[in-house]
Amino acid sequence: MDPEGVFAILAIFLGLPWIIMHYITKWKTAATITTDDEHLLEELYQLARRLDERMDTVERLVGSDNPEFKPARIRHDQDIDNEPLRELDRLLAEKKGARP
Amino acid sequence: MNSPRTTLYRDQQNAKLMGVCSGLEDYTGINAIWWRLAFVVLTISTGFGIPIYFALGLLASKKPDHLYVDRDEQRYWQRVRQSPKRTAREIRARFRDIDRRLAEVETYYVTSNPRLSAEIERLR
Repeated sequence: MDPEGVFAILAIFLGLPWIIMHYITKWKTAATITTDDEHLLEELYQLARRLDERMDTVERLVGSDNPEFKPARIRHDQDIDNEPLRELDRLLAEKKGARP
Repeated sequence: MNSPRTTLYRDQQNAKLMGVCSGLEDYTGINAIWWRLAFVVLTISTGFGIPIYFALGLLASKKPDHLYVDRDEQRYWQRVRQSPKRTAREIRARFRDIDRRLAEVETYYVTSNPRLSAEIERLR
């Protein structure tokens, strides 16, 4: 048997399964999240979102009472913030217009 | 592993054939056209494309109707599937941002005390 054939057989029957097994074990030990982690991430996401919205509302309320208060934002002018905030601004303006 | 948000589904609402590629889009965030193209190229070059497609199509279950509330949530879970660690860091950054903003409001009220100055102004 010529050395090339031996090499080919070794490559197919030892090398290939070795590489596949290697990557399968690597993939299995890689960071996978459990159901508990998923619930935790879900809860954290919803909590962060709610708190973010509340904080926006609080900042707007403080800003409408005290015009010199300017909240510094790291990520300002986000559409996700602006859309409900415009609504809030409109409501505040309506309320202010109705009061005096 | 029966976590509903980290399994691959067939997305039949945006399906062309069985919804495998649109499911892959939903899972990874990479547009379905690239997945379709990849399957076509795989079929032409090696012939494995069609068997893999039907294997996925038969193994993966249908996507539940209301898995995500909106686009942001969908994107969030795509990032979770890509890297849970990075998403956890992002969530922490969001909480820090909220904490900082709350501290700002608190500092404003503690240092300038606008209500008290308004009362003084009224008494004048």
